[in-house]
Amino acid sequence: MEEKHDSKKEAPVTYAEVNDTILKMLEPPGTGWYLLLFTCLFFLAIGASCWFYQMWSGFGESGKSHPIGWGTYITNFVFWVGIAHSGTLISAVLSLFRAAFRQPIYRLAEAMTVFAVMTAGLFPIIHLGRPWYALWLMPYPNQRALWPNFRSPLLWDVFAVSTYFTISATFFIVGLIPDIAAARDRATTRFRKTLYGVTSLGWRNSHVQWKHYTAAYLIFAAFATPLVVSVHSVVSWDFAMSIVPGWHATIFPPYFVAGAIFSGVAMVVTLIIPLRKAFKLERLITPFHFDAMSKLILMTSGVVTYSYITEFYTAWFSNNPFERFQFWFRPFGEFWIAFWGMTFCNCIFPQLLWVKSLRTNIPFLFVLSIFINIGMWLERFNIIFQSLTREFIPAAWGGYNFSWVEVGITVGAFGWFGMWMTLFIKFFPSVAIVEIKEILPPPVRREGHGHGHEHAAVGAVH
Amino acid sequence: MVESTSRAVVGVFTYMDDALEAVKNVKAANLDWRMYSPVPRHEIEEVTFPQKSPVRLVSFCCALTGCICGWSLAILCSLDWPMRTSAKNIASIPAFFVPGYEWTILFGGLGTLFAIFAYCKIPSVVRAAGYDPRFSHDKFGVVVACSAGQVADVSKRLKTAGADEVDVRDSL
Repeated sequence: MEEKHDSKKEAPVTYAEVNDTILKMLEPPGTGWYLLLFTCLFFLAIGASCWFYQMWSGFGESGKSHPIGWGTYITNFVFWVGIAHSGTLISAVLSLFRAAFRQPIYRLAEAMTVFAVMTAGLFPIIHLGRPWYALWLMPYPNQRALWPNFRSPLLWDVFAVSTYFTISATFFIVGLIPDIAAARDRATTRFRKTLYGVTSLGWRNSHVQWKHYTAAYLIFAAFATPLVVSVHSVVSWDFAMSIVPGWHATIFPPYFVAGAIFSGVAMVVTLIIPLRKAFKLERLITPFHFDAMSKLILMTSGVVTYSYITEFYTAWFSNNPFERFQFWFRPFGEFWIAFWGMTFCNCIFPQLLWVKSLRTNIPFLFVLSIFINIGMWLERFNIIFQSLTREFIPAAWGGYNFSWVEVGITVGAFGWFGMWMTLFIKFFPSVAIVEIKEILPPPVRREGHGHGHEHAAVGAVH
Repeated sequence: MVESTSRAVVGVFTYMDDALEAVKNVKAANLDWRMYSPVPRHEIEEVTFPQKSPVRLVSFCCALTGCICGWSLAILCSLDWPMRTSAKNIASIPAFFVPGYEWTILFGGLGTLFAIFAYCKIPSVVRAAGYDPRFSHDKFGVVVACSAGQVADVSKRLKTAGADEVDVRDSL
C-alpha cells in the first residue's frame, strides 16, 4: 500500500492544471457529499438537543459534581484548541521557514484551525451552565462597577482564544481571497458568480495588489507564529497556575504546545486522506507531503513522550506525597485504561513511523491519525479527571459517571466541526491555488528568468 | 497607475519574462500601465514595484497601539476595582503580560488587514482596467492606458515583447 511517486515519469504540473484540479472540487456535489453533510447535521442536532435539555433541566444533567467540576466539556475544549493548533503551525510557522511540504495542505489545516476554534469556543460557554452570562467575561463598563480579574488564567484564556480565533480567521480569509477570485473567474452558475464575486472583494491580481498582499501575508505569518506558542501555553496555565496535584507543573506550556501540534497534524492527516482520494488530488498531495507530516508527528510524539516521563520524574523527585500519589494513581488507579490507552496511542504506536515505508503508507497513516486523536483526548481526560478525582485529602476524593447529555454534546461538537468542513470543501478552494503555483517554476521563454526554467511549469509540485 | 483615459490596450502573455519585457518597454516610454499575474513572483516585483510596501509600518503602529491598550486595560481595570490577592500588587505586571501580548497581536493583525484593504483597494465593485479572467488562470497581462493616437505604437510594443494577443478596449 506504500505509494510511489516518480516525478520524472509524469508530465510536469502547470498553472492551468492547478486551477483545473482544485476548482473541479467546487463542482456540484454528489450523493456522498450530501450524505456526509446530513450525517454531520444529524450529530449536530443531537448535540444541540442535549445542550437545550441541559439548559432546561439544569447543569446537574452534565454529570459533573464534586470533586469533578471540570469534566468532559473542559476536556473537549482543550482537545479542540489543540486540534486547532497545527493549522497555524503549518500556515504561519512553516511559511516563515519556507517548508516545501506545506503548500498543498495548509489551506485545509487553516480551515480546520478556524472551525476547531469555533468548536472549542463553545465548550467554556456550555460549561457555564447559563451561557447567557458569558458576556461577563468581557471587560465592559457595567452597573455593578465590576471588572474581570486580569490575574486569573481563565481571563487570559478569553484573551488568548479570542485573539487566536480572530487572527486565524483573518489569516485564513486573506489567504483565500486570490483563490476565490480564481473561482469567480471560472464560475458558471448565477449563485456561484454572486458568491465568489462578493467574497473575492473585487480582487484582480494586479502587481500593486500582489506587492502589498505578499508583504501583509508575511506579517500575518509573523503575528500568528507567537500565537502558536502562546495560546496553548495560556490554556495550560488554566491548570498549571492552580495547586492541584498533577496540574501544578512548569513543564505544562511546552508539553501542551507539543501535544497540540501532535494532535493537530494527526487531524490534518485524518481529513486530508479522504479528501485527496475523493477529489483525485494525488498529483498535488504526494507521498512527499505525507512523509513530511509523518516526521512532524514522530517528532512531536517524542516531545510528548518526554513530557509524560518528565511529569513522573518530577513527581518522584519532588518528594511531595500528593504528587507522587497522583502519578501512581494514573497508571494503576480507577481510570488506568485511559492512561495506558493514551500511552499506547501517543507514545508507542507512532514509533512505527521510524519505518520509512510506513510514513507513506496511506491506510496506515489514516488509522494512526485516528488513534493519535483518541490518545490526545485521553491525555486531557487524564489531566483533568484523574487529578480532580484524587486531590489532597481522601474525604475530597470521588469518581465520575458520564451522562448521556455530555456524550451527546461531545458528538454534537464533531457534527458542528464536520458541518463547517463539509460546506467549506464544496464552496471554497480547500487547496491553495496561488501558493501551489508559487512553488512551480514560472512559464518563461528565455533562460535566466524564473530560476532558469525554459518552459511552463517544469517539475512536480514538490 | 492606469487613469481614466480613452483607450486601454491589453496584452495577454503566456510567458512571464515576455510580460516583464513589455512592462520595461512601456515604462521606458513613460506610459500609464498595470500588470496582472496569476501568481506573485519576486521577478515581477523587482520590475513592477521595487519599493517596500508601507503595510509593515501600519502593522507596527497598530501592534504598538494594541500593546499600550492591552496593558492599560488590565492596569486601569484593576485600579478601578482593586482586589487584593495575598501580597501581590494590584497592578501585577507578570500577570498582565498576557492581555498586553494578546492585544499587541490582535491589533497588529487587524491593522494589517485594514492596510491590505486600503492599499489593495478592496473591497471594490469597480471593474479593473482591462482585466481578463485568464489572468487568474495561467496568463500574464499588461494593460496600458493611452490616447487613441498612441494605440498603434503601444500595440506594437506589446507584440514585440511577445504578447499572444493584443486587444484594444474603448475606455477604462
